[in-house]
Amino acid sequence: MGKTIAEKILASHTNDGKASAGEVIEARVDLLMVHEVLGSRIIPILKEMGFKKVWNPNRVLVVNDHWAPASDINSAEIHRRNRNFVKEQGIVNFCDVDCGISHQVLPERGLVVPGATIIGSDSHSTTYGAFNAFSTGLAATDTALILATGECWFRVPETLKIEITGEMSERVMSKDLILKIINELGPDGANYQSLEFHGSTIETMSVGERMTMCNMSVEAGAKCAPMPINQDVKFWMEDYAPTKKWKEVTSDDDAEFVDILRFDLHTDPLEPIVAPPDLPTNGKPVAEVAGVPIDQAFIGSCTNGRIGDLIMAAEILKGKKVHEGVRLIITPASKATYMEALERGIIKILMEAGGIVTNSTCGACVGGHLGVLGAGEVCISSTNRNFKGRMGHPDSRIYLASPATVAASALKGVITDPRRV
Amino acid sequence: MGKDFSNISGRAWVFGHNINTDQIIQGQYLTLLDYDEMVKHAFEIRRPVFASKVKENDIIVAGRNFGGGSSREEAPKVLMHSGISCIVAESFARIFYRNSFNIGLPLITIPNISKLIKDGEIVIVNLLKGTLTVKGKGETIHGKPLPERMLEILKAGGAVPWYKKKK
Repeated sequence: MGKTIAEKILASHTNDGKASAGEVIEARVDLLMVHEVLGSRIIPILKEMGFKKVWNPNRVLVVNDHWAPASDINSAEIHRRNRNFVKEQGIVNFCDVDCGISHQVLPERGLVVPGATIIGSDSHSTTYGAFNAFSTGLAATDTALILATGECWFRVPETLKIEITGEMSERVMSKDLILKIINELGPDGANYQSLEFHGSTIETMSVGERMTMCNMSVEAGAKCAPMPINQDVKFWMEDYAPTKKWKEVTSDDDAEFVDILRFDLHTDPLEPIVAPPDLPTNGKPVAEVAGVPIDQAFIGSCTNGRIGDLIMAAEILKGKKVHEGVRLIITPASKATYMEALERGIIKILMEAGGIVTNSTCGACVGGHLGVLGAGEVCISSTNRNFKGRMGHPDSRIYLASPATVAASALKGVITDPRRV
Repeated sequence: MGKDFSNISGRAWVFGHNINTDQIIQGQYLTLLDYDEMVKHAFEIRRPVFASKVKENDIIVAGRNFGGGSSREEAPKVLMHSGISCIVAESFARIFYRNSFNIGLPLITIPNISKLIKDGEIVIVNLLKGTLTVKGKGETIHGKPLPERMLEILKAGGAVPWYKKKK
């Protein structure tokens, strides 16, 4: 019987070279990312463990991204602890508050390699699946144990194959596609599973678009989403990790999949999708929610704060003005993204349209700072979660959408089909 | 650690499907470094009376996909800190499941359980057999026994003592 991508990557990281779906295995971790949870929760656990030295200071990335720069005294204390830990442990890869969001920064630093096992102290660590990596989120205790040992136990996931063919029309984005897919799966439709996206649509996607798909796979419960590689990923590796050695991992034709889902965008064209509150899996065609008045439009996060997202927003907003009374907030996913947008003149377009451009951070997406919602406010957002109260007041409401739909809605003051502006 | 896993008894708090970690503890409270402070905000939006009314040994009974969303270990931890002794649900989200056992909070999966139990009923859970009974009612409701690895971690008292033992 053949193997899936997840099985093959995990198998190559065990002592006996074996991993089959359903088994519990011990695997080596190639890279561990920890953010503020290091200072708040992991360091106390390490003390309890009698921890002395990180297993390999070259294989850890510490990042201060959620409340960057510190939004209050507590987050300032957490950042201070992280800085001290990095110094004490000689951690090579450190991104302080000036860097951006972990899931964007890791690939930009050339730390994500096809075939690798990557763990992050953040549920959206599935993002690195875009680079053909096995990557998943774990929390404080598991990451504390990895810091000490460089290993972790896993239940090898079953794999759900999703084949997508056909082209996406103008102003329809990969965000719309993943919102549609997780709507079909439901909030636990891929629980414990590995998602393998295949097909011509995935093969022709940019790295950023692929990252959005893998990022939001977790909203259907997926453990990981390792994609087969494409040309754009190869170019990315040449640009960002030219010295790294790697080998693509593919699934076998006779691998065992729990199911195979097919989406043909040629026979069933994809519409822009919007997910109304309070679940990311609530997606429906934009026409069904068009006209809902908004107070805030947010473009940012590890899901959709990348250069392609900002370019799309600028294309829609160029020479126009955000609707009166609407706040348009743009938070580039990383400093590098911000710089590139500056050089390309994107930031100017966004600001001239009335947008507020913030530094790179998770910020408003986690209700942290730089765009927190007040009582009764409605936000259309390019982020990943529309849970009740996620971005602020419990009575605020979040509609998830693509950056194109967010930008179009900002212009009109109501939820708007981006193809109609 | 001396705990009787065959007899965990407590008052039930019944919840529906898809209770996510944001509902258990909102992101804005994650910078709180003191769990005594954080616990005041447990289920703040979903069930505002929870924090003031929850008692030692209470048990959460819920529908499908309990604990989805963020990886925050604060979610099971704040529940354990509030006195919750066990969570029974129709299914659990992956990271929440792992986190709970890591901190020594037992979970058990039983189909349809959120429809069978009423809020405030006293329930008795047998983790070893994967069963639940309602006090005063004879019937035993069967769920899934715990996977070996989870029981091993639980018996050690959580992942840190489990790791120390293994070392």
